[in-house]
Amino acid sequence: MRTARLIPALGIAWTLGYAAFVLWLYATAPQSFKDVTTRASVAAGTYEVDRARFDAGHELFLREQYAAARDEWSRADPAKRDARTQFYVAYSFYREGWGRVYSDDALFRQGLDAINQAIALSPDAPLEVDDPELKIHSAAELKAELQKGTERTVEDFNPLKVFRERK
Amino acid sequence: MIAIVALQRTMTNNRARNRALARHVLLPTIFLTVALLGGVRVALETGALVFVPPPLVTLLLAVMLLALFARGRAVVVGAWLSADNAPLANVSHALTLAALFFASAQSFNSVLPDAGLLRWMLSFFFLWTLWQNQFSAFDARRLLRSLVALFGTAFVVKHVLLASLDSAAGGWLRRLAGLALEGVAPGAQAFAPATGYVSFFTLALYVCGLLLLPPVPVEDAESTKIETPEARALLDESRNRVEEVESRALIDD
Repeated sequence: MRTARLIPALGIAWTLGYAAFVLWLYATAPQSFKDVTTRASVAAGTYEVDRARFDAGHELFLREQYAAARDEWSRADPAKRDARTQFYVAYSFYREGWGRVYSDDALFRQGLDAINQAIALSPDAPLEVDDPELKIHSAAELKAELQKGTERTVEDFNPLKVFRERK
Repeated sequence: MIAIVALQRTMTNNRARNRALARHVLLPTIFLTVALLGGVRVALETGALVFVPPPLVTLLLAVMLLALFARGRAVVVGAWLSADNAPLANVSHALTLAALFFASAQSFNSVLPDAGLLRWMLSFFFLWTLWQNQFSAFDARRLLRSLVALFGTAFVVKHVLLASLDSAAGGWLRRLAGLALEGVAPGAQAFAPATGYVSFFTLALYVCGLLLLPPVPVEDAESTKIETPEARALLDESRNRVEEVESRALIDD
């Protein structure tokens, strides 16, 4: 009698769990089996950034190899769930896109996307990065800088602009 | 005699347990796997997985197919969901039937072209066939055979003919189709050949699920009539021994 009740109960639990997994797969649409494990670890709250890859990206960033740095960071944080990594990605777009006469709008827009993602990932407190190599430490300040670069203002025609400094 | 009864009881228990496991665990697993894989495609250039949720037309086709199952007595809904069943069994059966519905929808999704004129032509053929079948005399076995033919044809059209048309080395078939379907795009097929293998496995699994699906969920107590050959041999041997002992006792008397 006990088995007669146990098996349907087991079946119900298993079916609901499996159905939830199928729905989750269709909702998150992972692109590869590795992506499945990454998204599963995000969902389970065990997701962590690959520290070694992050550091490798940081080194490239300091050597002004911005595209290569972003490539490393995309591997370090494939799910784009780490606010600090996304801050650095945005910073790399800023530094690469910054120009003495004009800024690269396309790169700045990508930087804006990354910094918005970083801000969204730290809703409880303002995001601050303590890195002596950087001149901008807060996400809000970096976002303002990127926004300023994409806007057209009268100040763009100021010839003294060429003396400004990259942060 | 006690040994025989004990053996029979053990066999009955095992049979009942296995049947219950198949009904409550194995069948939903099979159908949910079909529901999962039916929408999986593999992108041609990147090799990335693409998950295609069931389009509206496949849900409609699945409703018609389930109605056909009910008409053909392949699934006796009144027995699967009955007031006589235990509440847990009813919930489990309802989930199994829901899984069957989504598996059917995704099986259609798996064999229908993803875009183009042929998608609508095949959808129309499916609808027409299922609609006509609603008014035909059917039994479960004939229905299953008809379904295998239906899905098999659609599979060949999508994953053999269309894939061949779409491949870079389409060759004579591509040219022939170009002539036959002048001015008509065969459909946007940009998926790797692995998609065809996934679809084949999905359909095979779906048919296996349908073969395992009992029209009426046999209750455990009723499942005592069929015996396995090994068990039957054991029982016969025991009976013979008992008869032998009894006849010897009679002779002695």
